[in-house]
Amino acid sequence: MLVKSERIELNKRRTKTAGWIEKFGVYIMILVLLILGTLISNKFLTIDNLANVVHAVALLGIVAVGVTFVTYSGHFADMSVPGIIALSGMVAVDMLRYGLVVSLASGLVTGLMVGLINAFVVGKLRANPIIWTLAVAFVINGVVRWLYRGEQIYPDLKAGEKLATAFVNLARINIGGAVPITVVVFLVMVIIGQLLLTKTKFGVQLKLIGSSYEVARMTGVNVTGMVGLAFILSALAASIGGILLTSLVKIGAYYNGVGYDFRAVTAIVLGGVSLAGGKGNMIGVLGGVVVIGLLNNILTLLGVGTFSQTIVQGLVFILVVWFNTYSLRKLGKADG
Amino acid sequence: MDLIPALQMKKVSKKFPGTMAVDNVDFEVYPGEVHALVGENGAGKSTLMKMLAGSFNDYTGQIYIDGKEVKLYSPAIAKANGIAMIYQELSLARPLTIAENVLVGRLPVRNKWFLDKKALIEETKACLKSVELDYLDPFTPVEEISQHEAQLVEIAKALGNNPRILVMDEPTSALSREEVERLFKIIGKLKQQGLAIVYISHHLTEIFQVADRVSVMRDGRKVGTLNITDVTQEELIEMMVGRSISQVNNAADRILGEVVLEVKNLSRYGFFHHISFCVRAGEILGIAGLAGAGRSELGRAISGVDPVDAGEIILAGRKIKVKNMAQALQYGIAYLTEDRKTQGLALRLTVEENLLAPLIPRHCKGFIYQKQIGTGIVKKLIDDLHISPPDPSRIVGNLSGGNQQKVLLGKWLATGPRVLILDEPTRGVDIGAKVTIHTAIEKLAAQGVAVILISSDIPELVRLSDRVLIMRKGHLLGEIPGKACTEEAVLLAINSEGEIAHAS
Repeated sequence: MLVKSERIELNKRRTKTAGWIEKFGVYIMILVLLILGTLISNKFLTIDNLANVVHAVALLGIVAVGVTFVTYSGHFADMSVPGIIALSGMVAVDMLRYGLVVSLASGLVTGLMVGLINAFVVGKLRANPIIWTLAVAFVINGVVRWLYRGEQIYPDLKAGEKLATAFVNLARINIGGAVPITVVVFLVMVIIGQLLLTKTKFGVQLKLIGSSYEVARMTGVNVTGMVGLAFILSALAASIGGILLTSLVKIGAYYNGVGYDFRAVTAIVLGGVSLAGGKGNMIGVLGGVVVIGLLNNILTLLGVGTFSQTIVQGLVFILVVWFNTYSLRKLGKADG
Repeated sequence: MDLIPALQMKKVSKKFPGTMAVDNVDFEVYPGEVHALVGENGAGKSTLMKMLAGSFNDYTGQIYIDGKEVKLYSPAIAKANGIAMIYQELSLARPLTIAENVLVGRLPVRNKWFLDKKALIEETKACLKSVELDYLDPFTPVEEISQHEAQLVEIAKALGNNPRILVMDEPTSALSREEVERLFKIIGKLKQQGLAIVYISHHLTEIFQVADRVSVMRDGRKVGTLNITDVTQEELIEMMVGRSISQVNNAADRILGEVVLEVKNLSRYGFFHHISFCVRAGEILGIAGLAGAGRSELGRAISGVDPVDAGEIILAGRKIKVKNMAQALQYGIAYLTEDRKTQGLALRLTVEENLLAPLIPRHCKGFIYQKQIGTGIVKKLIDDLHISPPDPSRIVGNLSGGNQQKVLLGKWLATGPRVLILDEPTRGVDIGAKVTIHTAIEKLAAQGVAVILISSDIPELVRLSDRVLIMRKGHLLGEIPGKACTEEAVLLAINSEGEIAHAS
């Protein structure tokens, strides 16, 4: 008996440490990267540079907040995100001729529509979320190229100089003259997302679904609706990101948003959200997004090219997923 | 007999925390013998056989195969010693072909790399011939053959390793009458070939048909081994139950109220047919039956988890349609699943989160979930059910089986149900947890809740129930009223072939 209780005690301590690392590990990582950056370059630890870091990943953050709901619900990731970013941006540019409000609204509605389709197919018909959303991304890509004949579209050609300026300036607004609007939107979404996850019926039930879909169903949770809502929120966030990205790059194009899927998942998992679902929070995702920003910044300061940076990002993704699976297996043992 | 036993177990024991699952058991099987192993759930049959399969490396006692001592500390060692197991759940990969399944792990190859198709067909045919399935094409996927053929393929697969000892655990639970006869014929043939067969079943009639000797286990001990010709079914049941005086039924002085739930002609085709019964407030209605009797399916259908094809559910005089669990909960019908680990509890969440899971919608004000409303409920449930450790923030997966089961019960108690359907509420729990759960169930009935108790634990059914319904193969055969309800009566009723005498 003594041996057993000792073992439990040890396990408990180990789980506690593991839990702590999972919750705050990403902020330790940020600290390490900050120290590393400072050692590498004296340009690193300046307010300007750090502000740039956050600015550079704010769009990714906006998208990641949305995808987090999907991951948290145990449905891994929404891979249709790049498609939604491109499509909603292009629709927004196309509709700009009817005014800025119509443009923004139609961009968001576009995201909502794709989200509804995902919600129905994954939530109701129980399709494999990864395969399905990949297929959606693929189809959207085809549709966009067909609609616009594979060309990029320019706001000024579509709606004239005045509206185009308004649209392009959208993502360039600085709140209080200092904080870019993308950063503000990102932070507001993190806060709203965190409240949704922890304080609402949706969030609490989503946690149950993420922990065990069958149990949630057998407990009377409207699993179809809740999972659907997660995909809708993901698509909406992606369309917000898509409109802002399009405004920032001044061009609507089918390739806008490429890579946002994997980078979002990397940030989410870095932030301590379990790929198996039911675990994690938005504050962690905020950290995960910042880590990606810092990493890119440091690599740039080191003179590493964009392509090589992609390799590093890929490696980080593999590492993070491996670690996540590893700790899950440990957890799985505890389940048995 | 001066033969050397194919298998001899001498004073074997296996201890689990808190209980001796197998306690000093002697057990032997001779070549060419079918030795049946019977006992109630939790008597230690499965543990004894798991020991044989090499699942434990810490059993005590000696095991001899063909007179030589062996230490069966891993499944590989057990297999190498000629032990083959056939479980209730088939271990076949359904999309793969029969050949691939039968020869799994030893597919014939030539030149090291390439599959030898000719040898593959020949070997599979040879294996299939031993179970009279040689009419099947070895390249048919398993999912395209019938259930009973799959069961025989499973046996062929086991025989392919040339075992000395074959253990069959409830091999007939999914088979029809004729298919069982065929299986028995094949078992007879294997016997003649000198195989030693251990046959585990709850169907006592089958045992009289197929076995040469029978061993009875109870509470981890072997009660006795007898030649099948020297014993009657009644005597066997008495040995399994272990008392000639029947268990006292507590239900006698319970006061019953109005009918709360009535079910009329309820059917889910293929699972249960034309089931009619009613439950009163404060009543505990037991449902007994063997595996495959349709008891769980009935419970799931009433609580909206599975669809209903025909019939009516009437709650307090009002006809209702239950489309899903959420609706069932609104009507005050709760269903405790038999599958705690995958359907009952979110093992990665805390005790508190699990207990409050069904109450989330009720504890919301507008959009906001008011977690603190539940704190008192959680504390009360932990106290009432003696959940240990009494810590609401403990991860449920780290609790013992008994305490997990208490959390599962607590989760449904928290909803304050009018009708509570319990499906195997004490499966696999220790005796302490069992007593707690039984007390909670009785208290619930005393508060006027209508309880439907589905259980394979017959002493439990007899002790708690006011009446026991008997189900077999999807049909309701009748009921045994509380006064006449003894373990023997229930065991006889679920095993017997004809209608039961007590049908009301």
